[in-house]
Amino acid sequence: MTLLADILLGGAAAFIVLSLVVVYRVVRGPTMQDRVVAVNAIGTNIVVIIALVAAATGNPSALDIAIVYALLNFLMSIAISKFTVERGGVL
Amino acid sequence: MTPRELAVLALVAGGAFFAFVAAVGLLRLPDVYTRTHGASKSDTLGAGLALAAVAVTFGFDLSSVKAALLVLFMFITNPTAAHAITRAAADQGIEPWTTDEEGEE
Amino acid sequence: MAADDLLVPVDDSVTLRKTVAYVAERAADADGRPTLHFVYPVSERVDTGDEGSEAASAADLLERVEVWVEEDLGDDDSVAVETAVVGQTEYLFNPGDYADVLVEYARRNGVETVVVDPEYNPLGMAPLLPPLERELESAGLTVELAPVERPTRRGPLTRTAGVGQFVVLFCSTYAFYLLVSGTLSPFDLATGAVTATVVSAILWRIATRGEVELGKLGGRLARFALYVPYLLWEIVKANIDIARVVLHPDLPIDPQLVEFDAAVWSELPATTLANSITLTPGTLTVDVTQRHFTVHSLTPGAREDLLAGGLERAVRFVFYGRRAMRLATPAERGARTDDADAADEAGENE
Repeated sequence: MTLLADILLGGAAAFIVLSLVVVYRVVRGPTMQDRVVAVNAIGTNIVVIIALVAAATGNPSALDIAIVYALLNFLMSIAISKFTVERGGVL
Repeated sequence: MTPRELAVLALVAGGAFFAFVAAVGLLRLPDVYTRTHGASKSDTLGAGLALAAVAVTFGFDLSSVKAALLVLFMFITNPTAAHAITRAAADQGIEPWTTDEEGEE
Repeated sequence: MAADDLLVPVDDSVTLRKTVAYVAERAADADGRPTLHFVYPVSERVDTGDEGSEAASAADLLERVEVWVEEDLGDDDSVAVETAVVGQTEYLFNPGDYADVLVEYARRNGVETVVVDPEYNPLGMAPLLPPLERELESAGLTVELAPVERPTRRGPLTRTAGVGQFVVLFCSTYAFYLLVSGTLSPFDLATGAVTATVVSAILWRIATRGEVELGKLGGRLARFALYVPYLLWEIVKANIDIARVVLHPDLPIDPQLVEFDAAVWSELPATTLANSITLTPGTLTVDVTQRHFTVHSLTPGAREDLLAGGLERAVRFVFYGRRAMRLATPAERGARTDDADAADEAGENE
């Protein structure tokens, strides 16, 4: 393990801990939008975690997974926003 | 420590700090609008810094381009998602929290 | 009991049935013997003896409404129903005309409350309701929107597009494909071309809007490259600001909604501005309709920055060039925050 990998994995660990903290907001709510915001933030963190681990283990193909995850994360927010209103005018 | 390791350390630390701010903001702030502030801004910058660290690690490589693409993508989508969510909230008639209401809660 | 009387402008809208059900229920619950006035403003002038087609369909519709109300009320006869066709003596062109005939009717019959169907839009063009509501309210009437669920509204998804759009979409899709695949091998070049063709063939009339002019595009991209560092700097400042506020033990926030009309004129600049606002100091775009921005702001300082219009000017610079930078700021154009109003009131009280 090089120092560089240690730094990156340490960062990934920090992001994991922070994501777990945010789960509190997903559980508590109180509104649907609060949960969506929190899940979106967790999704962003997971993209970062994937990228950091990819860099730490020298596995560039995992970055493609991060890109797809970011796309899905965005779609999730938009879709839920749209469906909680069911008006078709959210975006 | 090489300069590159220093740069990566600084970027990862900065990213983790802003992700921390986002998490604290999500927990502490009083309503969905203010929470979205924390999440949309701090998390985007936190992710941007951490992904910059990834790009620096890979050096001049296709992977760095991908990391940059990811940053760009996040800078476009995160505010859009935040906007969609708050608009949905406003549409459902969720009133923004203001300092006047403090006494009632 | 004139206080419980309700005036309902009627038009053949999709949610009319639900609106009728709502007012019927409301009238049934009210004390006394309220009267429901269903009014159909006719947009064309109807000359005596010449029953125009619109007036005929208006009468049909009003009859239908009466039947609906009877259905909803059942045996409850504590509610009176009146229907009327108004505005036959003039042409109605704009929301003000509609408001005038409705106000006149309300005055004549002593009605104080108007319930409006959210889909009420006899002019057939956007948007009638907000100005109509404003006019009615300024005439001293109470205006309410019927709380009915609206069906999903969809604009046309596709629009006219030229070869330019197709080419731009094809090139960007192809470039993205090659970037992610990371090689320029014949296999990737071939599959990329096929994929990009399929994607652009399906989406070219959806994904882009407006004419593509390569000269303008180049200028915009160049100016956008100047905009990015400015934006990044603003974002960093914003985040330090937010970090300070969020981590402060007292949580010194004073959130408020600000509304203003931005001086940007089409979709892409408005989107860019909205996203930039969301990314920068304590401000979050909640809603954008045409040029009207509703922005949620976390701190008073953030509101001042927003209305000082630095970002807006930068976005105008990107899309319209340097000349457009010199327009007035939102604050100068009369956008106001509640802070300013409160300060004014305090000043008046002193």
